[in-house]
Amino acid sequence: MRPRAAVAAGGAIALVVTLGACSENTGDGTTVDNTRQQTGVIATDPKDSLGPAAEVAGAQKGGTFTIIRETPISHLDPQRTYSFAGLMANPLFSRYLTTWKDDGKGGLVLVGDLAETPGTNVNSDCKVWEFKIKDGVKFEDGTPITSKEIAYGIARSFNPDLAGGPTYVQEWLADSPEYDTKWDFKKNQTSLPPGLTAPDPKTLRFEFAKPRCDLPFAVSLPTSAPLKADKDTGVNLDQRPFSSGPYKVAKNQAGVQLTLDRNPHWDAATDPVRHQYPDQFVWSFGPTADAANNRVIADNGADQSAVAFNYVPSSLVAKVAQDAALKSRTILSPTPSANQLVINNQRVTDLKIRQALNYAIDRDGLIKAVGGQTVAQPMTTLMPSSTIGYEAYDAYPAGANGNVDKAKELLGGKTPELVLGVADNTGEQKIAIQLKGNLERAGFKITVRNIPDDAKLDEVKKKNNPWDLYIGNWAADWPSGASILPVLYDGRSIKAEGNSNSAFFNDPAINAEFDRILALEPTKQGPEWAKLDQKIMKEHAPVVPLYVDVAYLVHGSKAGGVFISSVFGYPSFVNAHVKK
Amino acid sequence: MSLSPVEGVALAEIESTGDGDGDAPKAKGFVGRSPGQLAWVRLRRDRTAMISAAMLVFFVLLAFAVPLIQALYGVGPREQFQDRLDGFGMPLGYAGGITGEHWFGLEPGLGRDIFIRMVHGLRTSLFIAFAAAVITAALGILLGTLAGYLGGWIDAVINWITDLTLAMPFLIIALALTPTVALRFYGQREAVPPAFQIGVLISIFALFGWTSTARLVRGQVIALREREFVEAARASGAGLGHMLFRQLLPNIWAPILVSFSLAVPSYITSEAALSFIGVGLTDETPSFGRMIYRSLDYLQTDPSYVFFPGITIFALVLAFNLFGDALRDALDPKSSR
Repeated sequence: MRPRAAVAAGGAIALVVTLGACSENTGDGTTVDNTRQQTGVIATDPKDSLGPAAEVAGAQKGGTFTIIRETPISHLDPQRTYSFAGLMANPLFSRYLTTWKDDGKGGLVLVGDLAETPGTNVNSDCKVWEFKIKDGVKFEDGTPITSKEIAYGIARSFNPDLAGGPTYVQEWLADSPEYDTKWDFKKNQTSLPPGLTAPDPKTLRFEFAKPRCDLPFAVSLPTSAPLKADKDTGVNLDQRPFSSGPYKVAKNQAGVQLTLDRNPHWDAATDPVRHQYPDQFVWSFGPTADAANNRVIADNGADQSAVAFNYVPSSLVAKVAQDAALKSRTILSPTPSANQLVINNQRVTDLKIRQALNYAIDRDGLIKAVGGQTVAQPMTTLMPSSTIGYEAYDAYPAGANGNVDKAKELLGGKTPELVLGVADNTGEQKIAIQLKGNLERAGFKITVRNIPDDAKLDEVKKKNNPWDLYIGNWAADWPSGASILPVLYDGRSIKAEGNSNSAFFNDPAINAEFDRILALEPTKQGPEWAKLDQKIMKEHAPVVPLYVDVAYLVHGSKAGGVFISSVFGYPSFVNAHVKK
Repeated sequence: MSLSPVEGVALAEIESTGDGDGDAPKAKGFVGRSPGQLAWVRLRRDRTAMISAAMLVFFVLLAFAVPLIQALYGVGPREQFQDRLDGFGMPLGYAGGITGEHWFGLEPGLGRDIFIRMVHGLRTSLFIAFAAAVITAALGILLGTLAGYLGGWIDAVINWITDLTLAMPFLIIALALTPTVALRFYGQREAVPPAFQIGVLISIFALFGWTSTARLVRGQVIALREREFVEAARASGAGLGHMLFRQLLPNIWAPILVSFSLAVPSYITSEAALSFIGVGLTDETPSFGRMIYRSLDYLQTDPSYVFFPGITIFALVLAFNLFGDALRDALDPKSSR
């Protein structure tokens, strides 16, 4: 019996290996289209903000649409929503002042959601903004939504007990990062924060001390979701948010499953982007990314109308990509999440070294190391291609694999010794090995220093951190240069800790440019940001742009209408429907 | 003639092979053999032992010959061949990119050669396991004999320390200690050299591994210390060193050797496990644990990446365990099945 068992085990192992071996990998069919050009604008025509949203071809009503995800959504309360899962789930049961009309192919238009237009810049100085609220917008109990409820929603986001959401609007209204002490929500529950007024039920008015030209973008985040004061359950709103969107929470088993039913009081005629196709949305939490994707690939039963929220993990990418039958069930799209090799400009003060790093970088090899073209796409600009006004350029053209000779020439025979600080997680370790090999070929001496994973982000954001290079990632909250370049490269904002400008780049001329462009009309800023992007890279090379993350998603054969949000890079469900 | 019990057993075996002709030690065809020789004969007769021993010798030779193999093979453990990967970072060609130049194929993503990394990993793993086993055995023997022979308060203290060590959670301490120690000795801008990481691993194993040997040895020594030959030696005024190393130790080599041969494979797997949870070696140092950890992601898409390191560590540990069992059978025939 024993020898037989051994033979069987040996046979099984041999079988697995031969099965793996019998197909030759020729590298065919593994190209990804990355020529797509994104455009983003703010709607100037009020008609764009009118409902109903255009019908999705082939969509029909009915069915249950399932979303499988590994971890639960951290917050359902709109004012506390900031995670990608939350930002994608929230539009199903919340409406905002403005929202993005997104064709999933890079075409973005900012339109009014509850508001008739994406805001009126009253004095053209970006200090006073007015929003007119649409007629016929209602909560899930049928009561109308007025400017008072929207203002209350914004007011409650000042409550420190309800932290976790974006803080742009709060900081701008209070004109201070410590907005919650400047205006105490708990003591002033019946009044509104400074600068925020609702002169009549149809008008909401923002008055700021400084020009805030990005307000129409900022109120596209869930901070501007309306809420009735008597329906505010405080921290418990997280369990059951009060709906203003096409669906409402029917059942919420915390951490296991969230079930959304149709909201009969939502009127399609008022909504420019959302639909109400499935009878029910079910968010199911628990399965790992591997398990969820395998389930959706298997396409059995209820999983036929399901989508795996987590991207196809790198371990399954090759399997999914090479299966022609799966092609119609996958979505591949670049996201706005940009990764850079951040150079500590306080330590690496020699421009030639920074330029040499830019010439030396082997983006093709790096992308292979992180999992290939369905995980990452090369980028050479500071802003990702989804940014409004984006223009492609390469300030240091060196080909896909880098130009080692050009880098060596710039270094002039010197061997700069640089320390690369990396988190000790598997992903960054892989990148570190790749970068060390790559840069040492180009004449650098790279020391890799591991930083504990949970501490890495805090450590590299400290002003006097001891490392020369580290991996940085930035996913903007809205696709405007204003939420990328000044945040990451304005040297005047450098403080002791918690710097988003972790390159510690500071140049007075560039800082002046930031001020100039930020004071422009939002519609005119786009091309200016693109020009500044190029100027910063050409003159200063403060970082090495590496790649943008790519969303690679698989859905069941009956799940339709899913697309990758051009704003956040995760699947959007406003068009989702169940095919017959 | 010594009254040592081991030799007594040996004598019994000689007598039995001599067909009960015990009173005629100089009988025809009768060869006097030391217990060591006897064990050797028994080991030679055991086919499993010989095959596993041959495998072990092969692995050890491989580990010693790493520079030579690298020179002949012509590929370094950190060299990358990303031009032989497709757009997903998967190796081109058959079975994970097996070619004449890359015998076991390439790693997906980074494109390093699996064969040369495995040979290097073999050396790392064997070095760590052997060093840890030798240190734990030495510590265990020293503390075990002292406790067993001297008894009294020394025995109580050593026993107490053993219990304390056994009660300490190995994984948690390993997880907490490894990064902290590196931070203590190396600055924020210095890389932690592989030799240091290996040293830390060996020390952690030594810190936790000596207890079983110490208990085993202590038990054996307690069983021996009241025996006649020990009493005789003590009565003749032998010193502590003589008592421990000339009288007691030679009689308990068998269990020590067996526990040593079984400790080595357990350290190989422990090293792999620690690297697996990220507290062992970093990715720069080739090691089995790291390789298997990284390869698991590719179980479905590149099974040969999992297969080669997996089968090698399996063969290595199996050979050690089989050899350890056979050694015990040979040294201690009374307990044979």
